[in-house]
Amino acid sequence: MNDTARSEAQSSGGFLPDGDARRRLRRWRGVKDHFARYAVGTFGVGVIIALALIFVYLFSEVVPMLRPAGASLEGSFAAPGGVDTETRYVTVNRHLDLAVRYTTDRRAIFFLPDTGTITHEVGLPLPADAEVTAFTFAEPRTELVAYGLDDGRALVAQHRYNERFSQTGRQYRPDVVFPVMDGDDALTVVDTEGRAIETIGLQRGPGGVSIAAALGDGSVRLVRFQETTSFMTGEVTVRRVVHELPRLPQNALATRILLDITGAHMLVGDDRGFLHYYDIRRPERATLVHSKRVIRGEGAEVTALDYVLGTVSIIVGGSDGSVSQYMLVRDDDNVNRITFVRDFAPHRAAVTQVMPEYIRKGFATADTSGLVQIHYSTSARTVAREQVGDRPLPVIGIAARANAIIAVDDNERFHYVDVRNPHPEVSIRALWGRVWYEGRSQPEFVWQSSSATDEFEGKFSLMPLTLGTLKAAFYAMLFAMPLAIAGAIYSAYFMSPKLRGLVKPSIEVMEALPTVILGFLAGLWLAPFVEGHLPSVFSLLLLMPLFMLITAFVWTTVLAPFVRQFVPPGWESAVLIPVVLFTGWFCVSLSPYIELWFFNGDMRQWLTDVGITYDQRNALVVGVAMGFAVIPTIYSITEDAVFNVPKHLTQGSLALGATPWQTVTKVVLLTASPGIFSAVMIGFGRAVGETMIVLMATGNSPVMNFNIFEGMRTLSANIAVEMPEAAVGGTHYRILFLAALVLFVLTFVLNTAAELVRDRLRKRYSSL
Amino acid sequence: MTERNEPITHGMSSALPDSGGERLKLSRQKPCIEVDKLNLFYGSTQALKSISLTIPEKRVTAFIGPSGCGKSTLLRCCNRMNDLIDTCRIEGEIRLDGQNIYAPTIDVAELRRKVGMVFQKPNPFPKTIYENVAYGLRIQGVKDRRVLDEVVEKSLRRAALWDEVKDRLDANAFSLSGGQQQRLVIARAIAIEPEVILLDEPASALDPISTAKIEELIFELKEEFTIVIVTHNMQQAARVSDFTAYLYLGELVEYDDTVTIFTNPKQQATEDYITGRYG
Repeated sequence: MNDTARSEAQSSGGFLPDGDARRRLRRWRGVKDHFARYAVGTFGVGVIIALALIFVYLFSEVVPMLRPAGASLEGSFAAPGGVDTETRYVTVNRHLDLAVRYTTDRRAIFFLPDTGTITHEVGLPLPADAEVTAFTFAEPRTELVAYGLDDGRALVAQHRYNERFSQTGRQYRPDVVFPVMDGDDALTVVDTEGRAIETIGLQRGPGGVSIAAALGDGSVRLVRFQETTSFMTGEVTVRRVVHELPRLPQNALATRILLDITGAHMLVGDDRGFLHYYDIRRPERATLVHSKRVIRGEGAEVTALDYVLGTVSIIVGGSDGSVSQYMLVRDDDNVNRITFVRDFAPHRAAVTQVMPEYIRKGFATADTSGLVQIHYSTSARTVAREQVGDRPLPVIGIAARANAIIAVDDNERFHYVDVRNPHPEVSIRALWGRVWYEGRSQPEFVWQSSSATDEFEGKFSLMPLTLGTLKAAFYAMLFAMPLAIAGAIYSAYFMSPKLRGLVKPSIEVMEALPTVILGFLAGLWLAPFVEGHLPSVFSLLLLMPLFMLITAFVWTTVLAPFVRQFVPPGWESAVLIPVVLFTGWFCVSLSPYIELWFFNGDMRQWLTDVGITYDQRNALVVGVAMGFAVIPTIYSITEDAVFNVPKHLTQGSLALGATPWQTVTKVVLLTASPGIFSAVMIGFGRAVGETMIVLMATGNSPVMNFNIFEGMRTLSANIAVEMPEAAVGGTHYRILFLAALVLFVLTFVLNTAAELVRDRLRKRYSSL
Repeated sequence: MTERNEPITHGMSSALPDSGGERLKLSRQKPCIEVDKLNLFYGSTQALKSISLTIPEKRVTAFIGPSGCGKSTLLRCCNRMNDLIDTCRIEGEIRLDGQNIYAPTIDVAELRRKVGMVFQKPNPFPKTIYENVAYGLRIQGVKDRRVLDEVVEKSLRRAALWDEVKDRLDANAFSLSGGQQQRLVIARAIAIEPEVILLDEPASALDPISTAKIEELIFELKEEFTIVIVTHNMQQAARVSDFTAYLYLGELVEYDDTVTIFTNPKQQATEDYITGRYG
């Protein structure tokens, strides 16, 4: 008010506008002020919201993976087709609208899985006079089962749902076929002497179906049906070959026979808790290689035994409720041995059946107390469990997509269990720990997300990727940091302002160089060049500083008195340009001779001989290329920090008799340290997030080492490479999002830590 | 104008050294720095014009003059701080103890150790109080902790700062007040035992009490050091200096003992300036 009064008083005679005009101006200024304040606030909050949304989006793609799996009993019904016969095998199709039950009384019954309503029933062509003494199933995805009879014959059956799509929706005309025929007879003779088949094994391999059987007298047989397709007619002929295999030691009785899909291995479980490994690559000379007791509990028996998908891992369920995984692992003598891999959450009662999933490395187990558990082998997780009554469950069946389980109790009641288990492959251990993968001799960190085969075990260890990211960033920083910081100190503190005005913008323009060009150059030009001139890299490292020092020495002692006056102060560095060019040329042209003199003509070969792996696209190349990309960032910020050290501090130091170099090291660097630190951290952050260069110049091999001559795969490059081929919503897809989140968190943590440190440094070393 | 200035003049005369009877004679002093026909150019502008004067040993010499007269430039010539300015060019000689400090054989760093300097604005380093004082010694390669401790204490005592900071030598120098910082900077300068201390308006950024302390300190320091001070404050020049040089537009107008300059200047320009008719 006072102001207004005064301004009006003054407005009478002065040069200022009159009261009204000034009031209007004041109001207008106020409006602008308000607008600016809210606009700035809105945009600031907008930036934060945008960042938060990125985080939320990444997280929302990851969250489904973290949700626990669930299994819930949906309904129970009496066995379709009658409760007076035993269920041997039950499974559900992929749409969860048709299931099949194989019974001891020679029937295959198709029914609706949720209600038990029978839709079709097929009688199996088994002779009425023979008794069913054995039953088995091959990998569920083959939909093959086998009956063994007491007269030495066996029946291999395959159920087919035969789905058709019509106007009214999906329709089924299911049937059962017999892929192994003996002439016109669906039955095949395993033992011509008619001994009873006590235990039977079945698998479909690349060459055709194999049946293995343990007969009543303890002899073991392998029957191979070799399919050959005629190239001319396309006709398939099946040849049946029977092999006699060695008996089990000490008259042990076979309880379960497992054949693998490669036709190389056979595993037989016996009544004493032992697993016997037969090498059947050449069945006529098959040998019993190794026997191992696979149940650790004293007096416990093996009560359930099966392969998981891919027939590499064996799951052993015991009478003590234990569930363990074994694999064939080659020992030092290159002999496969049955090897314990991991345990799963045990049951409290004896395990009755292990049922593998169709398309993943998961499996379900049931026990005598009515508990069903779902496990996953790679991640060593027991993902879900459901109590389905209190009766023993001798048989369980799993749906083709592992989203339902039918458990059959000893009263032949079917329990339909709904399963939600989309991402069992993920666990903290599977992502970050060493995992013993199938076919490996020990637990390892491996990233291998896909392969050509269906039975492939996805290896989702983020360790090689994280390490690769840090490796790339480390070598880039190793190259960039000394150059950028030293260059920045020189140009900020020693260089003449004119030269600085040339150098600084040129280096900063480098930042605008698209990294795809750097990556392209690194991958297609630098990598082969370095490979061909390996010694020059190292001689450059040694000779460049040496030649520079020699030049400096010659300059100050010999040339200075004559030439000094022609070179303005701060331009001395220009003298180095020819020296740098010469040294580069010298090292490159010297390279072949160095190879000849010291490395038998080929340094790369020499490295390999010494035992160092050399990849053409390696950390050295990436270090240089990505170093090139981060140099401008580090240089620019460091330069500003050093240049902004107050002049009165440097003068104070010089006035105390310090040389310029002492002033730099003791005062300037100290005062500029917060800026230099943040320059390094921002550079590091950039190196961590950089994608194109590492994508094009690393070779993208997810290795776990810091060897400068090997490549790496970084989190960012991995996302770029694999995202286009990951199935949307799948585990792989979500793990890639998790990788993005890890990258985000990594840079976030790095930057936050850097900011905190920088703040502390600034408080300590800031000067006015 | 004159009337308004009288009390100041009066104040000044009261601030003059009491040794009115036995006036210091410039010619009788032992010379420390001799400036000989010094011309200084910033690019094409000449900032100092043929300056010749002799700065006596273990006395306080003040340079006064209006802003831009070249007094700070002249001061900075004495330890070659002007070398840091690219466009600066010097003709003539400055001799320290008879040796031309602009000779090519001179080690500038060693010269600056002998000729210390304190700036207008306190400029402690972003280090502890202890490290600030020890800085010059460390530069000279002193590593012995005992020696450092001793010199730091001695220098701080001589700078009359010891009692205020002895309990917090490890505190950051920025935790000190402006006046304390300036005394710390003086302690830092005297720690390396210079012959000459150049003071470039050392009290202009300080409050009156701090200023008084600095002036006291200058009075004590002249026992051991040759002191050259640039000041805008004529009372200060009158209070602390033994000799005063008046510069105007890059020229040395008058140079004599302080009492003469302030009571009986030979030049009209000097008279005008000290009585406030100029400036």
